Amino acid sequence: MFKQVTTNKCISLSNKTHQKLSEWRESKRGFDVRSFGTGSHVKLPGPAPDKPNVYDFKTTYEQMYNDLVRKDKELYTQNGILHMLDRNKRIKSRPERFQSCKEQFDLVITCEERVYDQVLEDLSSREQETFTPVHVINVDIQDNHEEATLGAFLICELCQCIQHTDDMENEMDELLQEFEDKSNRPFLHTVCFY
Amino acid sequence: MTSNNGESVGARTCVASQFFKDDKAIDMTTSEKVVDLLNQAALIATDSKLTVLKQVQELIINKDPSLLDNFLDEIIAFQTDKSMEVRKFVIGFIEEACKRDNELLLRLIANLNMLLKDESVNVVKKAILTFTQLYKVALQWFVRSKVMSEMQEACWDMVTQMKEDILAMLDIDNDGVRTHAIKFTESLIITLSPRTSDSDTPKRQEGDISLDKIPKDHPYIRYDTLCEEGKSALEQLLKFMVHPAISSINLTTALGSLATLARQRPMFMSEVVQAYETLHANLPPTLAKSQVSSVRKNLKLHLLAVLKHPCSLEFQGQISTLLLDLGMSQNEIARNTPAPREQRKRPRIEPYSDGKKLKMEPVLLEDDDDKEEPVAPSVSKPSSVPAAQSAIDLTAEFLRPLLSPENVANLVLISMVYLPDVMPASFQATYTPVESAGTDAQIKHLARLMATQMTAAEIGPGETSKDLLIKRKVPVVGQAISVVGGGYTEKSQLETPQVKRLPEPILPSTQIKMPGASGKRKVFRLADVVQPFTDAQLEKMTNTAVKRILHSEKAIAQSGMSHVRVKLLSRLVCQFEGIMMDDVLEFILEDIRTRIDLAFSLLYQEYNTYLSQQPAGLLDAYDHCLFTLLAGLQEKPEQRDGLFTKLVLEAPLITESALDVIRRYCEDESRVYLGMTTLKELIIKRPSRQFQYLHVLLDLSSHEKEKVRSNALSFIKRMYEKDQLRDYIEKFALNYMQLLVHPNPPSLLFSADKDTEVASPWTEETVRQCLYLYLSLLPLNHRLVHELASVYTEAIADIKRSVLRVIEQPIRGMGMNSPDLLLLVENCPKGAETLVTRCLHILTDKVPPSPELVERVRDLYHKRVPDVRFLIPVINGLEKKEVIQALPKLIKLNPVVVKEVFNRLLGTQHSKTPVPSSPALFTFLLMEMIPPTSTATNLCFGERNVYTSEVLAVVMQQLMEHSPLPILLMRTVIQSLTMYPRLGGFVMNILSRLIVKQVWKYPKVWEGFVKCCQRTKPQSYSVLLQLPPAQLTSVFERCPEMREPLLQHVHSFTPHQQAHITASVMTVLEANSKQPEPEAMRPVMAERKVMGSGGTHVFCSVCH
Repeated sequence: MFKQVTTNKCISLSNKTHQKLSEWRESKRGFDVRSFGTGSHVKLPGPAPDKPNVYDFKTTYEQMYNDLVRKDKELYTQNGILHMLDRNKRIKSRPERFQSCKEQFDLVITCEERVYDQVLEDLSSREQETFTPVHVINVDIQDNHEEATLGAFLICELCQCIQHTDDMENEMDELLQEFEDKSNRPFLHTVCFY
Repeated sequence: MTSNNGESVGARTCVASQFFKDDKAIDMTTSEKVVDLLNQAALIATDSKLTVLKQVQELIINKDPSLLDNFLDEIIAFQTDKSMEVRKFVIGFIEEACKRDNELLLRLIANLNMLLKDESVNVVKKAILTFTQLYKVALQWFVRSKVMSEMQEACWDMVTQMKEDILAMLDIDNDGVRTHAIKFTESLIITLSPRTSDSDTPKRQEGDISLDKIPKDHPYIRYDTLCEEGKSALEQLLKFMVHPAISSINLTTALGSLATLARQRPMFMSEVVQAYETLHANLPPTLAKSQVSSVRKNLKLHLLAVLKHPCSLEFQGQISTLLLDLGMSQNEIARNTPAPREQRKRPRIEPYSDGKKLKMEPVLLEDDDDKEEPVAPSVSKPSSVPAAQSAIDLTAEFLRPLLSPENVANLVLISMVYLPDVMPASFQATYTPVESAGTDAQIKHLARLMATQMTAAEIGPGETSKDLLIKRKVPVVGQAISVVGGGYTEKSQLETPQVKRLPEPILPSTQIKMPGASGKRKVFRLADVVQPFTDAQLEKMTNTAVKRILHSEKAIAQSGMSHVRVKLLSRLVCQFEGIMMDDVLEFILEDIRTRIDLAFSLLYQEYNTYLSQQPAGLLDAYDHCLFTLLAGLQEKPEQRDGLFTKLVLEAPLITESALDVIRRYCEDESRVYLGMTTLKELIIKRPSRQFQYLHVLLDLSSHEKEKVRSNALSFIKRMYEKDQLRDYIEKFALNYMQLLVHPNPPSLLFSADKDTEVASPWTEETVRQCLYLYLSLLPLNHRLVHELASVYTEAIADIKRSVLRVIEQPIRGMGMNSPDLLLLVENCPKGAETLVTRCLHILTDKVPPSPELVERVRDLYHKRVPDVRFLIPVINGLEKKEVIQALPKLIKLNPVVVKEVFNRLLGTQHSKTPVPSSPALFTFLLMEMIPPTSTATNLCFGERNVYTSEVLAVVMQQLMEHSPLPILLMRTVIQSLTMYPRLGGFVMNILSRLIVKQVWKYPKVWEGFVKCCQRTKPQSYSVLLQLPPAQLTSVFERCPEMREPLLQHVHSFTPHQQAHITASVMTVLEANSKQPEPEAMRPVMAERKVMGSGGTHVFCSVCH
């Protein structure tokens, strides 16, 4: 039906969200989800918050996986990173950067205002061609495990609701207000055009 | 154009290459392949259909465009596909096809127009996107062609129309469609305005057409018109943006569009910055907090984009202020500000609005292919500041000196009154502490802010200039307050009528709350600002609404829309579950003749409602409706137009209460016929419930009102001829008759209002009630007579008497030849003798009995019931001998009966066919009767019409010839003479002949003879003189007073006559003339006594 993007700022979030969305995608056809990064590098949690594992976008999941296994298999198994990389590598070979993707989407969901700004900046810097709208939504999600889990469910639910609307653009505003009230989080929402 | 599609075409070739591989494998020509695919597409499901169609598109647009024309129609045919995705595909195809071959525009533009009006918003959106592209394609193509064909002209007209349609969509309900319309407007403005040297045109759109490429001498497309259209589109966009209830997405879109405009057409920069300023100061109050954040973020983004444009120079101050307000640091602003360097010296293109100067120069300059920016005559400063700009500037200039600390303090104090209780979300989000309070720059900024507000509110010195681009048409107060927002403001703004006129953005559903401690702002919701009406208000408004429709009868009829009104009314009334029902019914009844349509519509609507709620549905509303209509009709003065019948017969269902009304109608003497005709129609035309209706009619057959009853009976008689009803009617009649066996009349016979507790005795009336129906059926079905007999035997005497009285008519109707009646006579159940007798009497009352009847009666009399009274009705059918046998018994009955017997015998009852033998019979009677029967002869003489003088003469003659002479002879003679004095001569003759017969030998007759002579003197003198002397003496002994007159009579004779008188007679006449008188009297007296009462009676009556 429509294409949708989630950009992730941290792996654990991406993991949860993506997992939920994948499950859902299997049960409901016609739902196309892609995950992207927006930064200049791919960062995976390291042994400490200030010591992330940093890769560039050319690195394949396979390589990251092997690298992490080599570094500390137990740690990365426990925090689920290896599991995620394992699943990801079966979907695509390497992470993608949003700014490099020329495909058109209907909806972009970001989880951090900084990412939202990046997406907006990227989208508005592109030359308009078809005027096809793309809605960009930001849900701020704190960078911890609990928040990430809640956020994953929230985003998944939002996607499901949007999927169920007859006329996404017409009902989006209202839907977001409901979610905002329900989750008590501010949502940013805008529309850009390809 | 091609560069436009470059990338997508590339992508498509990848897809297409797969199919080409297939092609080779199967070795088909492209054309065959397309045919094959199209055939598949017609049959398969949507998903695969899309794939197949995309393959076709690939083949005929990119691989072999020569096929495009061939298969165009086949593809376009899918535009009516029920799948939205397929229709969207067709739109995409139209775009590709038209771009590939502009000629196709002529054929496809109408299809696109159709799809632009599709029911699915997604299709409409796609159509808008495509049209955005095709508008430019079309314009370019038409501009290229120096001569336009009629078809091309028509095509351009349609394109222009579609453009207007899409612009109008800025006001449509759907948020998404509005978003697309905004983008179209953006593209349109860019196309319809000249590209200038400082235009920041994206590479892809380098080749796009714009106003500057439109030749001024084009035969059909007018430069000026397009220019005006572009301006008006911009105006529309700006107007759209300042709508106070704009949705956040629309606003975001519009902000982006303005930024694009500012960069691609710097001539609009002033308007754009102005619009941004206005917006920033007047964020729509309907935005929720997070939406405010989103919008501000966007505004910042777009302002930056505008700022980066070289032409922003003169607006840098305003933009920077805005950006500062939006929370951007001075450094960041500086970083994004283009270096003033040569821009300052670069010529600023004349403002677009200043059309005359612009007219020729750019066109001429760009005629050559030189992409290099031509050096136009330098104008270091904009020659004219845009009008709107100046309005704000003027006001700002005006305000600035006024903003003294004192004035500002007063303003703040006054404004406090208007401040909302809680800080509104938008204010909270916008608020940044004023760093430079009191500085000149800050005062200037403040003046400008206020000027923006005032200009928008159309006040202030700047307002005097007319050509304002942006105006917010909201009241001053509301406007001012909208800066800070708040519930109060929202209300006052929403209550302004123009809110309804303008596009209504999406209204989120959660309840709005006054911004709480959290300062969280809820989105605007219609539900929150409209108070639900109270039930009473609702009802009142509903009522008045329906009444208006109701009473607009004439006006609507004149417009020929009566049927719509009728339908509307009936539906409304039904939906409101009868609140309005009574009003409407009353209205109908005021003039039901012309409003019968409404009545029926209402009835059927109610019935339909009932049916739709089956099986639990209630008929109450329908019943009420039908009942009121019928009852209303009943109360009206008599109508002959058959509306009542029409209503009853066409009503879908007759309810109990409706049937009651029909019944009442039937009971109304003035309408009984109409009512019953209706009832009859019902019985005949509604077989499923015919017995229910028939029952009503049957019930009425015993109604107390004669007219009702007789009508009912005559209707029933007609019904009785129908086989399917016959049994029911019969059973009813018999059941009713069966009631007669009860000792008291059952309550059934009384109307409800009478007191049925007291067991009243049978009356003639109640008995009749039970019999009316039966008796009217009897002549139609003779078999029923046996039932009467059995009931009769069980009934009490009172009833029996009544029965005997009422059966006359029907029995006579049956006639004496009825086999059933004969059978009844033959069987005569025990106890029914009186009934049978009565029947016999009725039958023979007017006509003589038939031989069969006589036979049955005789049989009955002899074999079973030897009651002589049976014989009376048939007596004149009996043999003489039988009569004589019976007579003695008959005569013993009471005089009334005897009289009847004789009447019958004498045939007086059947006056029209007098029995010829009656004089003879009478003679016979007179001969045979013993003295008491003189009563009978006496009766006979009463019948003067039978016993005329002639008849009596014959009777006398016969009697006299009888030997011995009948005792009553002389009495008959005397009576006859009394009745008919002219019989005197005849009587004299009789008397003379009696002398010959030696009448004196019969003492009784002799006595009468003398009496007769006495009464007929002097006529009788000649008769007396014929008597022998002895008898004459006897006469004188009886009546001595006769002698002297007789003697004188003789003396008066002539001598010749006297000679005939014998001497002995003379002796008798003259002798003992005096002495014997007293003695003579005594024997007469004695004789009288001897004759007894009978004789006395006779003579008395004669003497009278």
